[in-house]
Amino acid sequence: MAAAGPSVFLLMVNGQVESAQFPEYDDLYCKYCFVYGQDWAPTAGLEEGISQITSKSQDARRALVWNFPIDVTFKSTNPYGWPQIVLSVYGPDVFGNDVVRGYGAVHVPLSPGRHKKTIPMFVPESTSKLQKFTSWFMGRRPEYTDPKVVAQGEGREGGNTEAAISKAAWIYLPAWLTLSFCPQ
Amino acid sequence: MKSKEEKVKIITKEFVGEGEDAEEERQKKPSKVPRPKRKKQLPAAGCEEMVSENSPVDDQQEPVQEASDTRLLGVTSRRGPRSLPPIPSASRTGFAEFSMRERMREKLQAARSKAESALLQDIPTPRPRRLRSPTEKESETEFGTELAREVQRTQQEHDSQGYSRVKFHDSVRKIKSKPPVPPGFPSAEEAYNFFTFNFDPEPEESEEKPKAKNRHGANQEEKEGEEEEPPVQEGVSKTGEEEWLDGKEAEDLLLGLDHAAEDFVAVRPAEYESVHVRLQKEKELLFVPSRRTVPTYKKLPENVQPRYLEDEGLYIGARPEVPRINQNIMENRLLTQEPGRRWFGDDGRILALPNPIKPVPSRPPTWTREQDVKAELETQYKKAVKYIHRSQHLIGSGDSPGNFQLDIDISGLIFTHHPCFSREHVLAAKLAQLYDQYLARRQRNKAKFLTDKLHALRNAVQVGLNPAKTPKTLETTPKTINEYKSEIRQTRKLRDAEEEKDRTLLKTIIKVWKEMKSLREFQRFTNTPLKLVLRKEKVDQKADEEAYEAEIQAEINELLEEHTEEYEQKMEVYRVTQQQWKAWKKAQRAKKKKKKQEVEEHSANEEREQPGPGEEPEKPAPPEPVDRAVIEQQVREKAAQSRRRPGEPTLIPELSLAGSVTPNDQCPRVEVMRREDVKRRSLFLKVTFNNKEVSRTESRPLGADFRVHFGQIFNLQIFNWPESLTLQIYETAGHSGTTLLAEVFLPIPETTVVSGRAPIEEVEFSSNQHVTLDHEGVGSGVPFSFEADGSNQLILMTSGKVSNSVAWAIGENGIPLIPPLSQQNIGFRSALKRADAISSIGTSGLTDMKKLAKWAAESKLDPNDPSNGPLMQLISVATSGESYIPGFFRLEQLQQEFNFVSDEELNRSKRFRLLLLRSQEVPEFRHYKQIPLYDREIMERVFQDYEKRLRDRNVIETKDHIDTHRATVAKCLQQVRESVINRFLIAKHHFLLSDLIVEEEVPNISILGLSLFKLAEQKRPLRPRRKGRKKVTAQNLSDGDIKLLVNIIRAYDIPVRKPTASKFHQTSRSSRTFAEKHAASPTTHSPAHSADYPLGQVSVRPFVEVSFQRTICHTTTAEGPNPSWNEELELPFRAPNGDYSTTSLQSVKDDVFINIFDEVLYDVLEDDRERGSGIHTRIERHWLGCVKIPFSTIYFQARIDGTFKIDIPPVLLGYSKEQSVMMERGFDSVRSLSEGSYITLFITLEPQLVPGESVREKFDSQEDEKLLQATEKFRAECTLKFPTRQCLTTVVDISGKTVFVTRYLKPLNPPQELLNAYPNNPQATAELVARYVSLIPFLPDTVSFAGVCDLWSTSDQFLDLLAGDEEEHAVLLCNYFLSMGKKAWLVTGNAIPEGPTAYVLTQEQSHYLIWNPCSGHFYGQFDTFCPLKSVSCLIGPDNFSGFPLHMPYSEMKPLIEAVYSTGVHNIDAPNVEFALAVYVHPYPKNVLSVWIYVASLIRNR
Repeated sequence: MAAAGPSVFLLMVNGQVESAQFPEYDDLYCKYCFVYGQDWAPTAGLEEGISQITSKSQDARRALVWNFPIDVTFKSTNPYGWPQIVLSVYGPDVFGNDVVRGYGAVHVPLSPGRHKKTIPMFVPESTSKLQKFTSWFMGRRPEYTDPKVVAQGEGREGGNTEAAISKAAWIYLPAWLTLSFCPQ
Repeated sequence: MKSKEEKVKIITKEFVGEGEDAEEERQKKPSKVPRPKRKKQLPAAGCEEMVSENSPVDDQQEPVQEASDTRLLGVTSRRGPRSLPPIPSASRTGFAEFSMRERMREKLQAARSKAESALLQDIPTPRPRRLRSPTEKESETEFGTELAREVQRTQQEHDSQGYSRVKFHDSVRKIKSKPPVPPGFPSAEEAYNFFTFNFDPEPEESEEKPKAKNRHGANQEEKEGEEEEPPVQEGVSKTGEEEWLDGKEAEDLLLGLDHAAEDFVAVRPAEYESVHVRLQKEKELLFVPSRRTVPTYKKLPENVQPRYLEDEGLYIGARPEVPRINQNIMENRLLTQEPGRRWFGDDGRILALPNPIKPVPSRPPTWTREQDVKAELETQYKKAVKYIHRSQHLIGSGDSPGNFQLDIDISGLIFTHHPCFSREHVLAAKLAQLYDQYLARRQRNKAKFLTDKLHALRNAVQVGLNPAKTPKTLETTPKTINEYKSEIRQTRKLRDAEEEKDRTLLKTIIKVWKEMKSLREFQRFTNTPLKLVLRKEKVDQKADEEAYEAEIQAEINELLEEHTEEYEQKMEVYRVTQQQWKAWKKAQRAKKKKKKQEVEEHSANEEREQPGPGEEPEKPAPPEPVDRAVIEQQVREKAAQSRRRPGEPTLIPELSLAGSVTPNDQCPRVEVMRREDVKRRSLFLKVTFNNKEVSRTESRPLGADFRVHFGQIFNLQIFNWPESLTLQIYETAGHSGTTLLAEVFLPIPETTVVSGRAPIEEVEFSSNQHVTLDHEGVGSGVPFSFEADGSNQLILMTSGKVSNSVAWAIGENGIPLIPPLSQQNIGFRSALKRADAISSIGTSGLTDMKKLAKWAAESKLDPNDPSNGPLMQLISVATSGESYIPGFFRLEQLQQEFNFVSDEELNRSKRFRLLLLRSQEVPEFRHYKQIPLYDREIMERVFQDYEKRLRDRNVIETKDHIDTHRATVAKCLQQVRESVINRFLIAKHHFLLSDLIVEEEVPNISILGLSLFKLAEQKRPLRPRRKGRKKVTAQNLSDGDIKLLVNIIRAYDIPVRKPTASKFHQTSRSSRTFAEKHAASPTTHSPAHSADYPLGQVSVRPFVEVSFQRTICHTTTAEGPNPSWNEELELPFRAPNGDYSTTSLQSVKDDVFINIFDEVLYDVLEDDRERGSGIHTRIERHWLGCVKIPFSTIYFQARIDGTFKIDIPPVLLGYSKEQSVMMERGFDSVRSLSEGSYITLFITLEPQLVPGESVREKFDSQEDEKLLQATEKFRAECTLKFPTRQCLTTVVDISGKTVFVTRYLKPLNPPQELLNAYPNNPQATAELVARYVSLIPFLPDTVSFAGVCDLWSTSDQFLDLLAGDEEEHAVLLCNYFLSMGKKAWLVTGNAIPEGPTAYVLTQEQSHYLIWNPCSGHFYGQFDTFCPLKSVSCLIGPDNFSGFPLHMPYSEMKPLIEAVYSTGVHNIDAPNVEFALAVYVHPYPKNVLSVWIYVASLIRNR
């Protein structure tokens, strides 16, 4: 801790996006980014990343393995707004358009050491059957304006009937993504 | 120790420098000696200089001596480093040593080879290796610490010369410890001589030889003799040496040579620290707390006994479980820390809060995906679980849930009163009741019991009084006798009462029976079979009389005694009072005498002094003496009343049902009716268990004797502990339905009561129903009488008895189906933590304090447990009787415990305050990042601005503004803005689905059609259209992401230069009239100018400069008055404070200035001589005009595409319009119709930003609800028909209320000055008014109120504020026009630069005019753009390009910004001068017109 500068604490995140289970899809890639509070700032490493495209393994697990490394260091003055990693998985649909296959978010582990997190993935649901069809047909699935909204609570509360983005608008997929955080 | 260690380290470092050479040396040594000898090295530290500087011979001597006293030196060396002599530099040692070493090596090798070759013929393994290990061990034991060794290690290299010697010496020592030298060996002396003749300087080496031989030659003694010689020869003649060397030796030699080759490579062993050493180091550096239990006395202050709060009755919660070992470690650690003891409580344990861990997790289980995916996706079948109602009452929760059974036997029902009772029945019931009573009394026979007791007592007293008779009687003291006597008295009284009751009862029975008999006779029929028989029992007359008399006598005696006692007591009292009275009397008499004497003098006081009549003690009357005769009389009277007379036969009543009931046909009609009625009635019972009906009996008819027999047993299978068991009695009268007569609560049986053993019990019930019947039945709840005259009325209620029995059933195996006892009582106690008071004593029990207290005592509640606190308090209050009930209750009584700091401290914390303010989104802190971690790092000044603003809220700051009015307005606006912003902040957090999720819209037919059409369209059209781009939400943007794209396409009609000598020209715009405008005729004077400019000559070289946020970009220079640039300029956009949120973007007030300049080249060459060699020109740019577009417009419009009129200053010296050219060409005639210059622009933002949504909030309104609904409906219809049109019905006024837009429009008189200006020209007046309105500063709502909420202020407010946007301007203008008698409307719509805006439409005689209220321009109905500028003109001095700026005055800043944008100051000509002239023209109501003239003057020669 430098005497001159303001005191901060550092959070070093090492890990990797290991694998995913998407029973219905193949050839997916994954993006990650971090969402953190106002008192946080990245100091080193990559805050965002986009992985390679991976195909399903040929064994019985049928896992999509990326093993895509994450390495970022944050500094902060306040545990409030602890970083969350937001993962979004994309892949081609029948027509070859890249569409989103799943969103997920998880807090960076609060304790040091090795952690393995498995995140359920979800996508926003079309608001009507017709839209579901057209979105499938046009290759434009509903997606978030910004993947970071999955890590933010705003707008999801049920108080305002019009504005509520209720859970009904999401579908949880039978898909999981495994993420591990490991110290160096 | 530490300081020493450090020094040692320093020194070792210095040694290392020197040691490198030495190390090289070591490498040269044969690998047989991988590690140097330590003992030798120590001295070397002391004699280093000698090593390097002294002759080798001397040097060699030294170690020899030292070797003997190693131990001593080892000690000194440890202390030594402090007094070490200066260390010689490496270079110094290097050279001297080198040569010396070389020589030494040679010698050594030679010697060794000789010695070894001699020895090792029979020694297969290398010797020193074996020898070394013991030495090392020794050294370790000797020096112990690593420090010393380290020193040694570095030092060891310096005396490498002595290695061989050392080695040999060591081996000698080793050998010495071996078995003694075998006989027949050469003596040490011989050997010495043998070796030393060759090697003078190393006498010790020779020693080694024989020793070695001794050692190895144990089994080859015979050889020794012969072999002694050859080595000698060897030593002399080296030629034969090689022959004897075996392979091993050769290798050794080779190795030695090889190392010599590696002299320059420093190979060091890897630094290794042994585990021991490391541990030792760690032991010094690290503190490892012991795991042993710390004795309690260590943890407490001295001489303090541990104190256990729990024993003192204080509540201590359960401590969290921590393994003992961890506790010990922690305690040990704390003890070594300085203030460690404060961590220990009085009981010597570490302070701990109660265990906060809940037994049940409150977090939902997380998904762990260990098993296969399919396993989780699989549907699991789970059997439906029966919902158990009120689980706390559940019996056997946790245990095997058994079914328990309760048997309810309902045998029958008897009415003690029923509405259908006849009078006889009433009496019969009464009789039966009395008889029952009688029977019960007789069974108990209390009177007899008491009589016996009395006798016994009397006997006892008699015995007591005559001790002579029974001398053996134990202490019959007078006291006992007195007690007996008093008991006798009591018993006698009781007996008398009982006897009296018996007698009365008997009398009553007889009386009722008589009544009944008389009734039967009266009504001439019998209803009941009741019959009373009185049996007489004869008694012995004489004995009876005697007993009676004796009894009376005894009683008299006793009473007499009593009375005598009483009399004596009274006499005593009398005597005392008598004396007092006498004394008083005497005193009184004396007083009276006195008074008589003083009566004259003290007549006044007399009355006061005289005691009142009440004070005079009465003269006590002596008590009357006891008269025996009187007492006797009393006793006899009483006895006669209450007792059977002597000789009178004892009467025993017997009630039987032997009587016969009169048959129906002999009865009167009313009685028959009654009997019929009774027959019609039937009854049934419902059994309710815990307030739920579980079963009901059959309906049975009511018997004539008002008995119903059920005889049914109900088996209730239960699993809940019964709370209540009720029988409901229902009566059915014919077909008129059932009525609930009464409810009977049955007691829940004891656990010992099982079926078969349960006695039949009778439970009484009664009903309060009122029944009146029209026959003999007396009814219920209504008065009736037995008397003929109706007197002596009786009111009887329906009542009766249910005979039933409730018992627990017995199961198949003979076990009663009762919930186990433990679950009933103890069960609740043990399961206390779960069960609460309500479950065990029922809700009703809670109000019963005694019950509650009992329960608390039984359940052994911990009175000190805080969770039981309120209950305990309640109980203590209730039982003690002091009912203090606080007038409040606490919602979060535990809050205090969780406060880790006090509120004051929390408020004092700067960090907390900062966090709080940020979370409240206070503007100053909304985007504060990285709030410092510590309070001390937060600067005071962070809050200064905020505090200042709070302070200044009501103080009007005049410093920043020129006049106070503006300041007030600004302040007012600020406040309105703040309140509105606060409202919007709330709305900002509401998101629509579309805010978060991008979803394609469902295509409708038109879009589908369009897209189909698109397929057919050209891939690369000749005239491409601009396509919409994807919009970006402003969340994830940062500086530099947004760019402003300005595409400047072309301009029309740019003013052209006039020849410098042109005559002074004044525009004649002011003289233009309205009529002229609409004639749309070309200006008349243009042909005159055309002559001045020959065609083809470059008249103007315009270029465009775009400035935005003080960033300037410009196009290339084009030529001619109608230039075409078609260039795209890119300007970066920075949001204020780097905040790219929608709100922040909306409040950007910056404008985009598009300035058009004329580039003029001047030849500045002053000296003509240089003209040949170079051209010096000065580029001047002359401002021609500008277009100003606010950023907010761009932001909300997303793109601006169109042709704009250039705002050309009214006076543009040296320039004129080139209209003639246009005319002649006949090109674009429409455009030529208008005045002014135009520029075609396309402006957009890259990436396109999503403009903020308008606030979806309904403001309340004071308008009529019906009208509002009507407008809403109208609006909805309009929107449906014309979705693109903006239909405005209601607007939000400045106080945030919805009002109709029509409320704003009302004729309003314009200022009189304006009307007076052109008294007879209405057109001019209109223009003037428009101009006046346009001069009021423009301030868009979107800027003042972030978030698109159009606030409409009234004209009044508008004029007061002197700021507003299009609506306000339009409203004001419209109002003025209305008052001027014009037909005017407010027009809302879209305009090119402004976007949605408001204009004013007026109707003239034949046409309509559209007025732009913000600029004061008006346009004809059919005129596309025909603006008329109503500006006055001022003439400046000669010969300068300058230009006037004209704008409505509001604040200084926009003015400065406007001036800046012209870039006049960007002139670097040496002799430039600036001129500035400002003219402010006042209009009514503080509306000002400002004219600024900026000129740059360049002297023309």
